[in-house]
Amino acid sequence: MNRIKASELSAALFLILTGILCFISGRSFQTMHRPEPVFPSAGLTATHRLSDYFPPLKNTHGDTEVYIFRGTEEGGNLLVLGGTHPNEPAGLVSSVLLIENIRGKRGNVFIVPRANASGFTHSDPQEGNPQRFAVPTPSGPRLFRLGSRLTNPVDQWPDPAIYINPARQKLSGNEVRNLNRCYPGRADGFLTEKMAFGIMELIRRERIDIGIDLHESAPEYPVINAIVFHENSSELAALALLELQAEGFDIRLEASPVNLHGLSHREWGDHAGIKAILLETPNASHGRLKGKPSSSLIVDGKDKFYAKASRLGWLFVPYGEEGIPLALRVARHLAALKALLGGLAELEPEKAVEVEGMPPPAEVQKKGLGAFLHPPQKSG
Amino acid sequence: MKKNCDVLVILFWFSFAFLAMPGNGQETVGIFEQPMLITSAGQNAEVQIAAVLARRAGLNYTLSKQATGAELENVKTLVLVLGASLKGLGAAGLDMDKERDRVRALITAAQETHVPLLCLHLGGESRRGQQTDDLIAEVLPLAKMVMVVKSGNGDGFFTRLCQPKNIPLVEVEKMADAQVPLQKAFK
Repeated sequence: MNRIKASELSAALFLILTGILCFISGRSFQTMHRPEPVFPSAGLTATHRLSDYFPPLKNTHGDTEVYIFRGTEEGGNLLVLGGTHPNEPAGLVSSVLLIENIRGKRGNVFIVPRANASGFTHSDPQEGNPQRFAVPTPSGPRLFRLGSRLTNPVDQWPDPAIYINPARQKLSGNEVRNLNRCYPGRADGFLTEKMAFGIMELIRRERIDIGIDLHESAPEYPVINAIVFHENSSELAALALLELQAEGFDIRLEASPVNLHGLSHREWGDHAGIKAILLETPNASHGRLKGKPSSSLIVDGKDKFYAKASRLGWLFVPYGEEGIPLALRVARHLAALKALLGGLAELEPEKAVEVEGMPPPAEVQKKGLGAFLHPPQKSG
Repeated sequence: MKKNCDVLVILFWFSFAFLAMPGNGQETVGIFEQPMLITSAGQNAEVQIAAVLARRAGLNYTLSKQATGAELENVKTLVLVLGASLKGLGAAGLDMDKERDRVRALITAAQETHVPLLCLHLGGESRRGQQTDDLIAEVLPLAKMVMVVKSGNGDGFFTRLCQPKNIPLVEVEKMADAQVPLQKAFK
């Protein structure tokens, strides 16, 4: 048997090399604490932080921006949440697209693009995901972080073996860091529960009428291309579905299970009485059947393995070779938002919310996201 | 200009009549009376769509997702929205056997009180499957009229059930298209 010849010198060299690699990767990882810049439109009327509604979040990684667009006419109050799960990029990008384009006309719009700000500061271990993805614009790529579904363990650790959430639902331990299992939150709980509590405080204090939580799911997951609705929003969801189908978007309705607690579409309705909606689009980079994770997979949405899975009938959405690009997923979110606002105006005209400048979903698909995003060179 | 408009109006009504008339010439206009009771057979989410279509069509309806025979009092038409949803059943605390028993009892009560049955299948291809098909096969032959989203009848399943009983079957491309034939089906 051959023995590897080693010396004190080679050991020292490897030690130094390991140290350099750790330093470089550590520095790179630390950059995930740097939020991507957002360039609000001229229609922005105020920027708050979640800690303004729940002060214990101040100076924590759970604090996050709330962009407010107040209309000139009386109307309802809309809350849009992106980034509840920072590994579902259509939520963040849809929110940013709204912030950078809209002006309030009737009622008020509150947008939280990075609902779980801590989740954006790390990535899922062993997934090999890129830290950022690049959305092309005419002036160059805009970079956005791809975070984790869960709060950063540096901010909240350790997880219990079994998690009993504030709504008394028994869940697996790591769900204690999943914002969308922690509603209605706890004022004195874990950081993620405090974030959920802060969002509930925002809903209560701003008298929100309708809340929309933007998500994505894997193509092999049954709740996909869907409007998930609290039972108090069933007619609204049905109206939105008809509108979306008329515009050529295939979408389905999913009632929020009454016995599954801790989720936005359940607890926002149960505890704050608002119309509660969660939207899902299909994201290959989020699924288990994908090939190599990359920025391109997130933005272009092409994956030969998902195309094959679709041909074999394993998926809940059609997934061709052309993929399902981020622009289409964002367009779906925007179209659903528009349809929901149309439905709200039909059902409760006094609570109608109207905005100007919202990127038309068909144009987002045709021209791409970059046509509606602020140029990147003015960042920083 | 006016002549063109007249032609368009005639074309519109002609196309509507074509849409509302099944291939074998069965009557599908003005065959039901109001008010109607809308309920689901299988606790699907499309029952809510049916209610919205009825509201938009200006029809007098009551929506009850778990309707029983007792709710048929003063009702002139029973509308069953077909399609089993495991999530819907779970959310309602039901299983398929309990749901089938409820639907059977409701239809029996409707037959006893001479309330006609209109069946809708709005979920298309994705709202088919063994459980749904079993339920449809049991219920559909009792209907006075059936309306389906076309993709749900891609394999001719509804056609095969309706034809032997001479039950009018109206196909629509998408859910929203069901509003007009639904409206016209009522007096």
